[in-house]
Amino acid sequence: MKLLTHNMLTSKCMKGVSVGYPLGINASDVRVSEVDFNPDFIARMIPKLDWAVLYNAAESIGQLEDLPKDLANNYENDQEFLKKVHHVLLEVDIINGELVCPETGRKFPINNGIPNMLLNEDEV
Amino acid sequence: MELNTPLYNLSTFSEVYEPSEDTFLFVDALEADASFLLGLKPKVAIEVGSGSGVVMTSLAFLLKNSCSYFSTDINLQACCATKDTANLNGVSIECLNMDLLSGFKSNMFDIILFNPPYVVTDSSEVSGTGLNRAWAGGVNGREIIDKLLSNISEMLTDKGVCYLLLLKENNPQEVISIMSNLKFDFKLVIQRKVPGELLYIYKFFRKFKIWL
Repeated sequence: MKLLTHNMLTSKCMKGVSVGYPLGINASDVRVSEVDFNPDFIARMIPKLDWAVLYNAAESIGQLEDLPKDLANNYENDQEFLKKVHHVLLEVDIINGELVCPETGRKFPINNGIPNMLLNEDEV
Repeated sequence: MELNTPLYNLSTFSEVYEPSEDTFLFVDALEADASFLLGLKPKVAIEVGSGSGVVMTSLAFLLKNSCSYFSTDINLQACCATKDTANLNGVSIECLNMDLLSGFKSNMFDIILFNPPYVVTDSSEVSGTGLNRAWAGGVNGREIIDKLLSNISEMLTDKGVCYLLLLKENNPQEVISIMSNLKFDFKLVIQRKVPGELLYIYKFFRKFKIWL
């Protein structure tokens, strides 16, 4: 599971959970692999992201490297910055671990890169 | 534009739906709508109930690395199969074991693809997380379709589109009317008669652009 995906997930469909965002991450196995860099795609994607959530997620699994805490100005043309965002968003893969609901502590296991977000009938 | 048929190998996945006429009709619909899809410049695309992953992999063939690809399936084997199919074809799909789109934030998707469980069955057959979930649609084959449509508007971005496969027995006119009430217009992208089934693929998009 990539950090791009983490940026989009919530546990708000659980009974009694109001926001459910962001989910906590416990990562036991993280793999970093090279992915083709498309600067235009990353630049288009950035406005869609919750930047603080991405930053904190990367930090929490020790993959921050030198990603700036704040968005750069004119980032569209800043190849070096876009490359860093590309790395954190698409090259870092959580293979095993769990996601954690911030309100209930309910854990969602990640096995072989696939998060299990299924809920029991009494949880919805 | 002609899309290659993705490679796949389901030999280790006994509970995953083997690509069939409906699957290939969906791929043909994407092919037929290729210029629209490229012009949409989507950033995030998802297939709900991806099964083998053949449909999403075809979309990734078309849009390449200008878009990100996600899939959900209630059946874990199907999630694994989708991931394998993506890897086999050199594309990247983020697979989630999830009921429809229940774990996602709103306004995320520029493209939603849904080849639903459309077969008319008894409601009791719509249960569990096995192969039956690939086809068992309950009353009018509409139980899962209607569940997804009930919050489709909040899951799509302003320019977002949903491609949905329907069977004649699903009563497409009624689905069009549900979507019209949600302020979505439609286009019939493709239709095909296969043994025992008349299948349609509709594209739904918002009636009015929202200018901010």
